[in-house]
Amino acid sequence: MAEERPQYKVGRLRRALAEDPRTNELGIEVRVRDRDVHLTGEVACEERRRAVVEVARENLPGHEVYDELTVARIDGDTAEERLP
Amino acid sequence: MITIAAVGDVHLDEAMRGQYRERLAGLPDEADALLLAGDLTKHGTVDEGRVVAEEFRDLGVPVIAVLGNHDHHSDAQKEITELMRGEGITVLEGEGTVVDCPGGRLGVAGVKGFGGGFAGKCATEFGERETKDFVRHGREAAEALGEALRGLDADLLVGLTHYAPVKETLTGEPPEIFPFLGNYLLAEALDDSGAALGVHGHAHAGTECGVTAGGVRVRNVALPVLRRPYALYRLDGAGGG
Repeated sequence: MAEERPQYKVGRLRRALAEDPRTNELGIEVRVRDRDVHLTGEVACEERRRAVVEVARENLPGHEVYDELTVARIDGDTAEERLP
Repeated sequence: MITIAAVGDVHLDEAMRGQYRERLAGLPDEADALLLAGDLTKHGTVDEGRVVAEEFRDLGVPVIAVLGNHDHHSDAQKEITELMRGEGITVLEGEGTVVDCPGGRLGVAGVKGFGGGFAGKCATEFGERETKDFVRHGREAAEALGEALRGLDADLLVGLTHYAPVKETLTGEPPEIFPFLGNYLLAEALDDSGAALGVHGHAHAGTECGVTAGGVRVRNVALPVLRRPYALYRLDGAGGG
């Protein structure tokens, strides 16, 4: 069987990340180049980051998954905006 | 003056219990009400709904919410709504509520909203049944928002949605998915009802500030956009858009 094209690998993994109950992440960017898979985007906590990497490894066995995800920060100052 | 705190897309589950609530202690000193712009849960389960209800109860300010698409994922939106209402949180879907604040009466109407796209580049109720159902759901949500806003007797009107009424606040998201992120009919509802502000979530990679064609300010308060526990908007109670 012919090797799945990288474009379809990207589409399939993005669907899996959105639909797999361990992740349900809709905003993860996936890039595939040869056997390298790069994941970028933001998740809410370290646990969800691990879940995204796990689902990616399961869906693309034999690939090297690179975790370039970031964990969201919500500790900014709550300065108010005045709307006249 | 009326000060509104707002946030959306907190996506709480059991693992995040308590982490967000600890950031809300200052609310009574800062705001007259807290608006929640949907996607309060991760998977829309009853258990996650219970976490949401317990995280946002007894905060010392009225809490007014709409649900988002994640909160519908497990078909438990009714149970989640009831759990939240049981803890004193107002959950709106095509309804409005008025809060008496020291600076005037704040009227908030809310709907989840839906996709459909933006004027000139939107889907229409034509063709397959599935397409018509999709587009109709967006139109009916916007109609419900307009009706709820017009039914409010208040000094300041705010429209609360999960989906975006304008595309400016989607800046940063891929344009190809805009039709799944918002619907311009929501903006028309804000414009036609004299709202002073539209608040939404949903677009994690979007931008905080936008404005409708009629000049109503729109704010995307999705937590990943804000990068702070909540936004604070201070408005005068004269209303108008």
